[in-house]
Order: sequence, then structure tokens, then C-alpha cells
Amino acid sequence: MTEPFLHIEGLRKDYGIVTAVQNINLTVERGEFMTFLGPSGSGKSTTLYILAGFENPTAGDILLDGKSLIATPSHKRNIGMVFQRYTLFPHLSVGENIAFPLKVRRWGKAAIDARVREMLRLVRLEGFEERKPAQMSGGQQQRVALARALAYDPPVLLMDEPLSALDKKLREEIQHEIRRIHQETEVTILYVTHDQEEALRLSDRIAVFSKGVIDQIGTGPELYANPSTRFVAEFIGDSDFVTCKILSMRDGLADLSIGAGAPIAGVPVHGIATAGGTASLMLRPERLTLTRGTAPQAMPSLPAAVLDITFLGSNIHVAASTGSGETLSVRLPFGHPATAGLSRGDTVFLGFDPAGAHVFCG
Amino acid sequence: MALLTDTSSSAGAVKSRVVRQYNFAQTLPALLLILVFFVLPVLALLLRSVMEPEPGFGNYAELLGTTTYLKIFLNTFIVSALVTVVSLLIGFPVAWALAIMPSRLSTVVFAILILSMWTNLLTRTYAWMVLLQRTGVINKTLMGLGLINEPLPLVNNLIGVTIGMTYIMLPFIILPLYGVIRRIDPAILQAAALCGATRFQALTRILIPLAAPGMVSGALMVFVMSLGYFVTPALLGGTANMMLAELIAQFVQSLVNWGMGGAAALVLLVVTLTLYAIQLRLFGPARIGER
Repeated sequence: MTEPFLHIEGLRKDYGIVTAVQNINLTVERGEFMTFLGPSGSGKSTTLYILAGFENPTAGDILLDGKSLIATPSHKRNIGMVFQRYTLFPHLSVGENIAFPLKVRRWGKAAIDARVREMLRLVRLEGFEERKPAQMSGGQQQRVALARALAYDPPVLLMDEPLSALDKKLREEIQHEIRRIHQETEVTILYVTHDQEEALRLSDRIAVFSKGVIDQIGTGPELYANPSTRFVAEFIGDSDFVTCKILSMRDGLADLSIGAGAPIAGVPVHGIATAGGTASLMLRPERLTLTRGTAPQAMPSLPAAVLDITFLGSNIHVAASTGSGETLSVRLPFGHPATAGLSRGDTVFLGFDPAGAHVFCG
Repeated sequence: MALLTDTSSSAGAVKSRVVRQYNFAQTLPALLLILVFFVLPVLALLLRSVMEPEPGFGNYAELLGTTTYLKIFLNTFIVSALVTVVSLLIGFPVAWALAIMPSRLSTVVFAILILSMWTNLLTRTYAWMVLLQRTGVINKTLMGLGLINEPLPLVNNLIGVTIGMTYIMLPFIILPLYGVIRRIDPAILQAAALCGATRFQALTRILIPLAAPGMVSGALMVFVMSLGYFVTPALLGGTANMMLAELIAQFVQSLVNWGMGGAAALVLLVVTLTLYAIQLRLFGPARIGER
């Protein structure tokens, strides 16, 4: 087996008695787009700052091409970074900002000029060379920051929520730019965000951070189809939870019952389940079926009373309350026959495929 | 973001202009007070400089044509420049430390700075005399450690004046510098580090250029204040390096020569106003808004 390009090993960071991150193990392939996804305070930025060399880990190691980075100071790591806040040097022009890392590397003037032009072309800001950062919009400033971070061909580019200060439309535009630039330069990117949509749109793989640990690493579809914790299930895609009782277990599949309903067989289980214990059954709104009148025969279902019907353009969103008072959401395409004439208080049956649902214990 | 700041600052400028016009009438009593008790006496003094002992510019000719006086001018500039440079060298790291230290600690340091400014100037200068004299704590300690055999001449000379004045001027350079440095986002320096800049390169190419307006305004303030300083040079300086303010005092108090005193005061005033105008031109409020 070949050495992974970037290897994070048992990383841990304590601030006094508070542990910011622990047990971070991660490998990243060359050219990969890896996103650290999680809410604020989950340790994703701390991990990135340790990679940048702004923080020293309490334990663990970071290996780039097999060599440890820990003892190397920030300015010798040769890593690029785009920050959450605008960090262009305000007294320098756009061209001088991009040239800065090349000047401190003592490149020749002709090489610097050529490189600055190339970088401005890459981020599509030709002709902006003489502008001062204050004369540019936030989106333009972040593109210049990207050009500055890529100018010296770093093996790894770190991005710490670079789009969080921008509005939604601009954010999507620059997400496209980042994707294009990633494909053109083939640089390895480590990207921090709390926005699941952004993570899904950009990344090859996503590491989901929760409370200082990585809950799960995988591609977007993997995390969506097979979340390993309740937190991941809640963070990637929409999900609702119903309390259930485990009847029996075998091969990672559980038989369970909900309230006084019939047993449901073969639901994948995560966590340590004990027969007789209670657990949470996760159901995704877009994977539920809705039938009226009689319960479907082909699959298990839950009876529920319609609470609310919301029209959302191409989708219709139905909220319904189960017998035990838990609310489930169903998303149906506009014009679905079951929604015709549906009104509040109607009794419906919400059906699901046991193999596509998940049970989380603890 | 840039657009937003631009519009808000220009809107602010318009608003403050309106407020300024509106408030002008209300400031008249204060302006009158300044006119009667400040501007008129200065004008009277300046008038005496061209009227006594006889009308003409004789006083100025004597002042600018006598080697002794020119030496005092030169010495005033040297001391002021020295104090300014030393204040900057000490003040910059202190201002930087204040900007990055936890606010609870910086509050304490600020309290010390402000308290020292509130303490009577004469008391502080006498305190330095005690510390710096031949049998003072500093000389005794150095001799006790065996570093020197003879006490160092630290008082009644340039060293004494520079130490005493730098101590008094430091807050005036630290406060404006602190204001400027605190507005610099630390992430900008992190960005510089990841770009490959060593600490020294980040200091010389990023931090100092960004702090330049604060450095210039602080340095100019210290320089101008030093030019007209009296108490500290009089107590800690020697006769060999007299400063302009001492000369003026001597003209007025010992020689009762109001003409020469007024002439020297005008020269000082012109130099001060010229420097102030240069600062406004280079780093004035309008220029800061542009950055």
C-alpha cells in the first residue's frame, strides 16, 4: 500500500481542561477535495488551524508526503489558505497581494509578473491588478485571496468558511469558481464549512465533525444513504425520528415495534442495541410514501394525522402526527395523486422501506 | 463590503457636516474664551517681539544670527528627534502587545499608563533625578553587580533628558499606535505567515506599513511636544544642552527681555504649525478615510 498524501494521525488539542478536538484520524489523497463539515465549536476549524501551524496539537501528528509537519512553522509549511474574513493586505494592490508570497520566496521580477497575470486569469479578474482591496467587492476579494494562496503552487490549500460573509447568490457563483479552479489546478483542498449544501456541492469526501470528533467520513451519497450516527443523519439531508422498541437483533439488522403497531423486520442498526431497549428510527421525508384509506400491504407503515400541508413549488410538504405525538414530514412531488383533496386532520399511512431506514441507539 | 463601507462613511461625513454647522452657534462662547485668553495674549507677545526694544526684526536677526542661540535650536531638535525615535522604538512593541493581550490585562496596563499621565509632572521628573543621580538606585545597583566601577553620568546631560522625556512622552505614542494596530485583523498576519513571510518580513512589509499613520501622528505629536518642553530638560538636562523653552524662560524671567522671548516663541510656533500642517497633508483625516 502506498503512503497517503496527507495523513492526520490521532490529533488532539486541549485548551486547559477543555478538549477542542480528539482522536482525529484522516487520510487525504492527492488532488482530493475534502470538506470538514460541522456546527460551530465542533472542532473543524481547530483542526484546520493545526494544519496551518497556528495551533500546536496536544498530541498526534500530521504527515504530508510521509514527513511530519508539526515542527515546521507556518511560514515554512508552503501551504495555501483562504480565510473566513477578508485578509488581503489593504495597503497593497491586487497584483502586489498576489506577488507577495512570490516576493518573499525571492522569485525574479519577470517570473512574478507572469505568475500574477496567470493567477488573475485563473480567478477571472484580469485587469484588476492595480485595484486596492477596499475598491473590490467581498466576492472579488476572496477570489484574489484564492489567487494569492495558489500563486506558489502549494501542495495543499486550506479554506476556512471562505464564503460565509457573502450572500447566497454570490456564494453559489463562487462555489462554481472553486470547483472549476480545483479541477484546473488539481490542488488538494481541505475546506471547512457548516453548510451541508456547500459541502455536498463541492466535496469529493466529507468528514462530519461533532463535539470535537469526526463522526463519519465518506462521500456525500454515502453519508446520506448510510449515516453512522444520529448526528450525521440529522446534518446531511432532512430526517425525522420516531421512538421505537428493539425486539431482536441479528447481523446488524433489528426487528422493532413502534407503539402498539405490528413488528417491523430488518432495519439497519447503528450503535449498541439491546433487545427490549428503546431506540430512534430515522425516516427521510423524501423516502416516505403516503397512502390514504387503508394501510399499504407491501411495506410497514405508520398511521398519522395530517397537521399541515405546504406547497413548495415542485414539492408538496406534508407534516403529520403519529399516534404517540411525534411529527413526521413527507415530501411528495407536485401533483402526486395522494395529495389531491388532502386536508388537515385526515388520517394517512406513512410507508417506508425497512432496509432504507436506520435505527440509532443511545 | 467595500461598497457598503464607502457609502456609510460618506453618509457619515454628510451627517457630521450638518451637525457641525448646526452646532457652530453654540460653540461661540467657547471660541470667544479661547480668543480672549489664548489667541490675544499670543498675538501680544508676538507683537512685542517686533516692537521691543525698537520696532523691526532686530530680535529675529539676533536670534538666528548668534551661534549660541543656533546651538540651542539645534540641540532642541536633536533632543526632540532622539526622544521621538526612542519613544517609537519602545512604544511600538508596547502598543502591539496591548493590542494582542487579553483585555483584562490590557485594562491594567492602560490604567498604569493613564495614572502615570495623571501624576504630577514635576514629581515624576524629580523621581527620575533620584533614580539617575550618582548615588541613585541605578548606579548603586550596577556598581553592586560589579558591572561598573565608577557611577555613570546619567543626569544633567543628554541621557538624563532623553530618559526623562521619553518616559513622559510614551503614552502619547502608545495610545494612537494602539488605536491603529488594534484595527489590524490578526488574520492578516496569519495570512502573511502562510504566504511564507517570516516574522520579520510580516513586521516590515505588512504590520509597519499598516501602522504607519499611527506611527507618524504619534511621532509628530511627541516631536512637537518635545520641542517646547521645559520642566524635564530644566531639571534633568545640563547647561551644555539647553532647550528652546529654557531659553525663552531665561529671556522672560532672568533677562526680562520680552522681545527676544517673543521672537523665540514665534520661531517655535512656526516650526510646530509647519510640522502639524505636513502631518495633516500626509495622514490627515481625509487621507485616512481613503485607505
